[in-house]
Amino acid sequence: MMNFTQKQWLKYAVTHIFEGFEDMRWKKSGSLKTAFCIIVLFFFAEIAHERLYGFQFYATYDRTFNIIPYFIKTIVLFMAWTVGNWSVCTILDGEGTMKNIFIYSAYALVPYILQMYINTVLSHFLVRDEYVFMQMIEITGTLWSAVLIFSAVKAVHQYTVLKTFSAVFLTVVAMFIMLALLILFMALVQQVYIFVSTIYTEIIYRIRV
Amino acid sequence: MKRIFIKFLTVILVVIVFGNNISLTAVNASPYISYNYDRWGDAVPSQAGYIEKRTVSGDDIGADSFDEPSDIFFDGTDFYIADTGNNRIVGVDGNLENVSVIYEKFKMQDGSFTTLDNPEGVFVSDDIIYIADTQNSRILLVNRECKVITEITKPDSEIYDSSKTFLPERVIADKAGNIYAVLGNITTGCAMFSPQGEFIGFYGSNRVEPTAEAVGNYFRNVFMSDKKKARRKRQVPSGITGFDIKDDFIFTCTASSSVLSDTVKKLNSAGKNIFADRDVSFGDYELKYDTSHYKIPDSSICDIDISENGNINCLDSVTGHIFQYDEDCNLLFIMGTVAEQKGGFKSPSAIESAGENIYVLDSQKNNITVFTETSFGKTVHSAVELYNTGYYAESLDLWYEVLRRDGNYTYAYNGTAFALLRKGDYKNSMKYAKLAGNSELYNKAFKEYRSVFLKENSGKIFTVFIVAVVFMVFLKIRKRGGRRK
Repeated sequence: MMNFTQKQWLKYAVTHIFEGFEDMRWKKSGSLKTAFCIIVLFFFAEIAHERLYGFQFYATYDRTFNIIPYFIKTIVLFMAWTVGNWSVCTILDGEGTMKNIFIYSAYALVPYILQMYINTVLSHFLVRDEYVFMQMIEITGTLWSAVLIFSAVKAVHQYTVLKTFSAVFLTVVAMFIMLALLILFMALVQQVYIFVSTIYTEIIYRIRV
Repeated sequence: MKRIFIKFLTVILVVIVFGNNISLTAVNASPYISYNYDRWGDAVPSQAGYIEKRTVSGDDIGADSFDEPSDIFFDGTDFYIADTGNNRIVGVDGNLENVSVIYEKFKMQDGSFTTLDNPEGVFVSDDIIYIADTQNSRILLVNRECKVITEITKPDSEIYDSSKTFLPERVIADKAGNIYAVLGNITTGCAMFSPQGEFIGFYGSNRVEPTAEAVGNYFRNVFMSDKKKARRKRQVPSGITGFDIKDDFIFTCTASSSVLSDTVKKLNSAGKNIFADRDVSFGDYELKYDTSHYKIPDSSICDIDISENGNINCLDSVTGHIFQYDEDCNLLFIMGTVAEQKGGFKSPSAIESAGENIYVLDSQKNNITVFTETSFGKTVHSAVELYNTGYYAESLDLWYEVLRRDGNYTYAYNGTAFALLRKGDYKNSMKYAKLAGNSELYNKAFKEYRSVFLKENSGKIFTVFIVAVVFMVFLKIRKRGGRRK
């Protein structure tokens, strides 16, 4: 029973929103390679969604292109989620390993990513009056992914529903803490840099004079 | 071979030297760089729509030199200048060559004579001269024979706060003879008087901008006692600085660095701002750091003028820029600067237009700078005029001409796209709408393009669809059949 290939597992997990991840866990399935592919596709989806959108919906600022924001919006954010979830759930008796959290969360993102690609393509064929169709697709994809993420966290840590809710909430808090620490760290590095550069300037000046 | 080479080199050199000379003189003519805003809202160099022709001082026209003149008005034949420091109104002929009349002394109705004290505004209509006699706190309506018809002084009305002074700075009158005056230190709009000089009320006041502070104060006021409220600083709108009348509309401008909304308003007879619901902005989007004053200057539009063809000319007193918009508030040209040279201003105070010329009065240089339309300006103006009156197809060639001369001229891309859309050339309309950055127009063109495409190719699309369905069914059946075996 359930001797699926990796591709079939992905399809199964996405289409069976409640028991999909449970079965995956029971069968110890899910591949890291597929998960990586999904995240890379997520990255490209974000770029396509911003850059290749139909001009009738919005005028893209296509004078400059900076890849960093897209990178942060997708890959960095996802990594932060993974690390945050792992660190929270290790304390809260979660059974998931970092690897499993990564894989399951990535699988859960598939409807959202798909929605982005579909809408980007559709935006070239529809006009503003028909935007409601795209909106429908967007809402469906986003909600679907939200339920899947919840289901993934629940399955990977073997939590009850209530505990899953609190875990998701705490993960978001953890992500914010990480952000705060990052800012603190950046400020510190800047201070050190200024200190070093001041000393350097001073020394150079003394040597010259 | 060598000879040919030398000949060739000479030709190139000649072209470079003379070609450069020609363009250099053209560039050096103005002390400012004419620019325009591209579709992203960034300033880009642009062809000049106006070029300064000459400056006229008081001595040039045969009157003594001006002293801090503050208003200029053109009634169709003559110019009238409010020569504030000399306490007089100077009339000049339409070519700004000879003084035609100087008003200094007026005969009151009781036979006595009166003089002006720092008049700041002048307006002429139906042979009546309206003078904002600022320091005398009155508005004078005089006829050509210097006889005072009506004298309007501080209104004795409940609406008018009697503790406030009455300092009329600008005055205009509409067709019915109603008089409007901009008053110094009054923030509730301009005062409106009946033709007989009775105070009717205030007209067209600015809104208080909903800044965070204003909104916060509103909520705080709910919980405050009246006593405390009375002691607090009140949120008041900025007062109107200048205005002009065109047909049934009064255009006002407000020179305040802190106000972003209501800088330019188009008021109908009920005092409602027609531009209020539209997403339009006036003046510079972003000002350059001023290296001589060590700060980013504040934009402040101090006077406004509506030309005969409906274009709106705004004068920025701080940067010396003149902005010209068409009647739909699309930016056409920017010119002028603060400079010592011809074409620059020190302290521009008023703007007026007549025909193809724009006149700017400078209260410190004490002269009038005359700007005249270039051939590029003429092309743009005729294109805009045709376009705004609905002759889209006719405007198309002119738009192409504008784009040929200045490829950065954003508004021309909009015009071309719309003209092409009307013409039925949807594909090119899409192209130009994209270049204009106008996604709404692109949407319209694309909608039409798509429906035409679907109509033309419906047979092909349908065939492909059916073939695809048949093929899929065939595949399914074969798969099933294969399994059965």
